[in-house]
Amino acid sequence: MVDNVEKEIVSIISDVSGLDAEDITPEKNFFKDLEVDSIKAIEITVAIEKKFKVSIRDEDVPKITTVQEAVALVNSLLDQKRS
Amino acid sequence: MAIVDRDIYDAVIIGAGVSGLVCGCYLAKAGMKVLIAEQHFKPGGYCTSFKRKGFTFDAAAHSFGSFREGGNMNRVFRELDLDKRLKIKRYDPSDVIITPDYKISFWNDLNRTIKELQGAFPHETEIRDFFDFMSSPKPAEIAALRNKTFKDLLDKYFTDDRVKTILSIALLINGGLPPSLLTAFTGSQIFSEFLLDGGYYPDGGMQALPDALADRFKELGGTLLLSCRVKKIKIKDESVAGVVLEMGDFIRSKYVISNCDARQTFLKLLGRRVISEDLLQKLDTMVPSLSMFVLYLGISKDMASLPQPGCTAWFLSHYAIEDMYLSSKKRNAGNLQEFLLRVSPDGESVLAMVLAPFRNTKYWINNKHKLLEAFIKKIEEHTTPDLSKYIVYKDAATPSTLYRYTLNYKGACYGWESIRSQFADPDFIKPPICQNLYLTGHWTTRGLGVAGVTYIGYNTASLIIKKEKLCYN
Repeated sequence: MVDNVEKEIVSIISDVSGLDAEDITPEKNFFKDLEVDSIKAIEITVAIEKKFKVSIRDEDVPKITTVQEAVALVNSLLDQKRS
Repeated sequence: MAIVDRDIYDAVIIGAGVSGLVCGCYLAKAGMKVLIAEQHFKPGGYCTSFKRKGFTFDAAAHSFGSFREGGNMNRVFRELDLDKRLKIKRYDPSDVIITPDYKISFWNDLNRTIKELQGAFPHETEIRDFFDFMSSPKPAEIAALRNKTFKDLLDKYFTDDRVKTILSIALLINGGLPPSLLTAFTGSQIFSEFLLDGGYYPDGGMQALPDALADRFKELGGTLLLSCRVKKIKIKDESVAGVVLEMGDFIRSKYVISNCDARQTFLKLLGRRVISEDLLQKLDTMVPSLSMFVLYLGISKDMASLPQPGCTAWFLSHYAIEDMYLSSKKRNAGNLQEFLLRVSPDGESVLAMVLAPFRNTKYWINNKHKLLEAFIKKIEEHTTPDLSKYIVYKDAATPSTLYRYTLNYKGACYGWESIRSQFADPDFIKPPICQNLYLTGHWTTRGLGVAGVTYIGYNTASLIIKKEKLCYN
């Protein structure tokens, strides 16, 4: 399941940034490694929320700096939805 | 007679607006074989100038921003070598906002602007914090605002409606929406482009910018066809195959990028039968931005009462900005409450603008003159009582004119309305119809204005360049 979430998130980042999925590894920093600027940050956040049908709290958005942090947050939101 | 090279193109771009030109330059620079087809006889879209009776008028776009070190325009100028071709001057102040009680200038020195606002509104204690945030927001902080409006952002820092209106008037006229509806992102973008880092102007008029881009594009090996309308985008095996020009020529291309109106791209160029029911429904319910009524005056005398040349003045007769928006939607000769007024940098002509709805062509044929005369009277009331005496040329562009020259749906000035429900929609970036089809420009729901669409043009090109594994430089 975790793998699927990660795969989907990587696919979204790849779509928005144009980078190859294989270059988007878990430890990559959105802003330092993946050329994510303001508008791309919005596009990625909106696409993740739409894809997983979750709502990320505004105050949590600035805390996400790496791919793995995004995956962990989405997994925890999905867990909350299931429980 | 063959008008284009019969070889296959790597990319065809429909529309030579600033975004299409920037995208074309980057693709050509990366080594791709690119064709741009533009229906108008000159490049630029809303960023064009025209001459009448010896006067040069900017048609709509009248200055640009984001030219500071590190700004989007600055980077594109450097990367495309435009900095060597265009002489850019920044006017100081870039903007001045005139209300019944205040005159607030936006100076090139931000500290001076902040002090002026603090002097006018001593009870507002977070003016500097607001400017600090707007000057250099972090991407993640902006992402956190994805569901917020510009009003939410203003309410966080200010209590006085007058200061909120002063900080929003440029967004209403340059974004087509009041703060309660405008997304926080788009509002911040306009605020930054027009007020914090605005007021840049190319020597010779705004047309100099698309002309320089067009020259650079051709120098990089690109083919630019003017007065050339595209009739169809062809799809084969779930990928774009090319475009059909109005004269019937089929141009094969691996990529097609539409820099023209989104509805036309989908409904006319692609056709309803290739579009999903969901997307068709979305297109039927999406709202375009308002259009504009633009007044062009040639004047025979320098008038001290007019704003200084190159500076954009914003006149307000009250502070109810939401009401201004509602009355814009019913614009007529009797409700000209707020407007933009600008004397061209050469000091010879005046440009004035108000938001206006599209209505229909007949309405504007019947009402253009009435609104034009009422607009001149309004300027006389507000600032220059004897203006009429010195007008040697007058004309106006109505929403119908804007549609005729650009084919933007309902003469929309800023693509789709920048409301939250229409924001950052991937269907308008890479439409889910076939491979290798992209949109660029203000219909992509991600930005507007010269600097905004320049960024989008660059971004569209970068997606394709990365996909092709080419190099930017």
